[in-house]
Amino acid sequence: MKVRVNRQELAEALGVVGSVAATRTPKDILKCVLLRAAADHLELEGTDLEISIRFIVSQVEVNKKGVVLVSAEKLSAIVRESNDELLDIETDANHCHVRGAGSHFQIYIRDAKEFPAGASMSGDPDWEIKANVLRHLAERTIFAAARENTRYAINGVLWERKDKQLVMVATDGRRLAKAVGKISGGKDGGPSEVIVPSKAMVLFQRLFTEQDEKIGVKLTESQIVLRSNRATVSVALVEGHFPNYHDVIPKETNKTAQLKVGETLSGIRRAALLTNEESRGVRFAFADAELTLSSRAPQEGEASVKLAVAYKGEALEIGFNPNFLTDVLKVIHDDEVNFELKDANRPGVIKCGDDYLYVVMPVNLS
Amino acid sequence: MHLMNAAETRSILHIDMDAFFAAVEQNDRPELRGQPVLVGGAADKRGVVSTASYEARRFGCRSAMPMARAVQLCPQAIVVQPRMERYVQISRELLALFEQSTPAIEPLSIDEAFLDVTGSIRLLGPSVQIAQQLKQDICQATGLTASVGIAPNKFLAKLASDLDKPSGLTVVAPNNIRGFLDPLPIARLWGAGAKTQSRLNSLGIRTFADLRQLSAGCLEAEFGQTGRKFFDLARGIDDRPVVSDRQAKSISQETTFVQDVADCQHLRAVLLQQTEQVSSRLRHQGFKARTVNLKIRTQDFHTITRRSTLDGPSDSTTDFWAAAASLFERWWSTRPPTGRIRLIGIGVSQFSGAEGCQMRLFGEAEADNARRLDETFDQIQDRFGRSAIARGLLGDEETD
Repeated sequence: MKVRVNRQELAEALGVVGSVAATRTPKDILKCVLLRAAADHLELEGTDLEISIRFIVSQVEVNKKGVVLVSAEKLSAIVRESNDELLDIETDANHCHVRGAGSHFQIYIRDAKEFPAGASMSGDPDWEIKANVLRHLAERTIFAAARENTRYAINGVLWERKDKQLVMVATDGRRLAKAVGKISGGKDGGPSEVIVPSKAMVLFQRLFTEQDEKIGVKLTESQIVLRSNRATVSVALVEGHFPNYHDVIPKETNKTAQLKVGETLSGIRRAALLTNEESRGVRFAFADAELTLSSRAPQEGEASVKLAVAYKGEALEIGFNPNFLTDVLKVIHDDEVNFELKDANRPGVIKCGDDYLYVVMPVNLS
Repeated sequence: MHLMNAAETRSILHIDMDAFFAAVEQNDRPELRGQPVLVGGAADKRGVVSTASYEARRFGCRSAMPMARAVQLCPQAIVVQPRMERYVQISRELLALFEQSTPAIEPLSIDEAFLDVTGSIRLLGPSVQIAQQLKQDICQATGLTASVGIAPNKFLAKLASDLDKPSGLTVVAPNNIRGFLDPLPIARLWGAGAKTQSRLNSLGIRTFADLRQLSAGCLEAEFGQTGRKFFDLARGIDDRPVVSDRQAKSISQETTFVQDVADCQHLRAVLLQQTEQVSSRLRHQGFKARTVNLKIRTQDFHTITRRSTLDGPSDSTTDFWAAAASLFERWWSTRPPTGRIRLIGIGVSQFSGAEGCQMRLFGEAEADNARRLDETFDQIQDRFGRSAIARGLLGDEETD
């Protein structure tokens, strides 16, 4: 293999592919990145066996086609630290040579045949979604997913396809986020509900950055494959059952607060300064036109922050984990949201248009 | 320099049961008394010796020795299958006796523990008297003998208990630390494995007296941070406190296999048993924990630790097992193909008191069920011993 490649584009590609390659594994082969020089482009592949990625570098001049398998960490570091505009990569029987203007790195290669098969999509995608829609859905759900799976398969985001809509739902058992977006194309068949691991969701956000690019999606029982012009990713789905989320979305509420997003976010952050591990809750006292946020940390002190809000309903005092509200306010880009409530021991619901909903359980303050 | 002032001197007891498993068998079955007894797996099933009675030790039988070899050395030995449930039951009785002397108890394994009796002296008399009383109580309650070391710290107490077995009582007086340590071979140095020992030997170090000749700088240059520890230990200095579950920042349990294990099901079973014990100890203290730590040591002494943080503090065996099993499976699926495992262990940490009363969206019923299961489990264990009940998946227990 012999190629001359734009260093910056290669560095970006290695950054993405390297983030997939396993770092903590005794299987050294998974710490590698595979480079494949085709007629007019260079492909990079990485996998940790759960996520596999194939990424294309196009600013490349291929002099000799070929395949090479090298340490992802070493190659990334070399390319990142170099300051040349172009790098020459060439292989012989045992080494991969990376040459810049005044530098020559020679790294050992591994048998490319040992590398697990990379990501690929067989046939046409089931449906398509615009990159910006996908990112928007991901941004507003991922944070609510459980970090560690306990009883349910909730350490990922549920994708539910309904005709021309994709619903994403994430929950950790204490709060739940649901976002809806449009999809296009669409064949019937294949599973309509799958759980995508959080790590893959984060990767999608990083990968599909072109605004209107259409991302093809194909599902099987065990895998989801996404394909853009530059990248193909296949991801092993989370196995198990996602809880029935419809049941936990409150059907009726009788109190509504209209929150100014920026102000409320700042208010909660300030009130949360005097909470600690033992007392995770901030007290929300809703009364006519006013919301008082208060907190107390044993042996440290107390905080109180007043905000003007439009509020309809009887006065209510309710406790929430402040992080559960700042998390959601950070991803809402509207100026105002409605916070619907019923009782101090019933869930609160934040609604933002028709396409976003967030349910959060209170903390018992008594 | 470490100044030891009388008011600060601690009294630490290390209590070590003599040939524990074998002694229990001999005590429960009078026909075994005075006979060479080997507790462990059968010779024809490639079993190993867990404990050899003192009668069998005279023939050269030792724990961790293949049973076939031990039987060769002592053909008249009586081979007995281990009865973990019985040993655990007695271990609990012992713990209850220890609690009469001090609350500061750090169990090390099923048959040994550190006790800090510094605070009990005014009430119960000098530490020697406390130790004698304990030995007597142990004998009366269980019919077994223990060896006790008394010293100003854990390191010296553990050395001392081992010097006069069985049924020994060895005191290291604060003003005689040097006299006690100097003649001991460096094989007794805590934290010094075979490799370290041969390196020390090559430096001409054979006893603690030799070791004390080396400067801190020299030891640090040779052994890094551990060297600094050796410097202190050579002078009998060890500040580690006796940490009871109540004060601990983590609760853990680990098992070193007498023979390395490569069987996934077996490892999972041991891990589940450990998870149950750890969760039960945590509940006993009224704590909840957020972090689960898995520790694995492979046959080549490579130690791997993996941790996982729960979404909220928990004391539920189900929650910890879900996390532990998934950590283990993730490691197992990417382990080196020839990997055999020497040690496996589980711990929980990041404690909090009563849970911040975060309500749940769903799973409240399941959480309730799990809670009730845990309560029942703890009650049965309290009454009938640890092996009276165990979750599914458990087969035979591994002996320590």
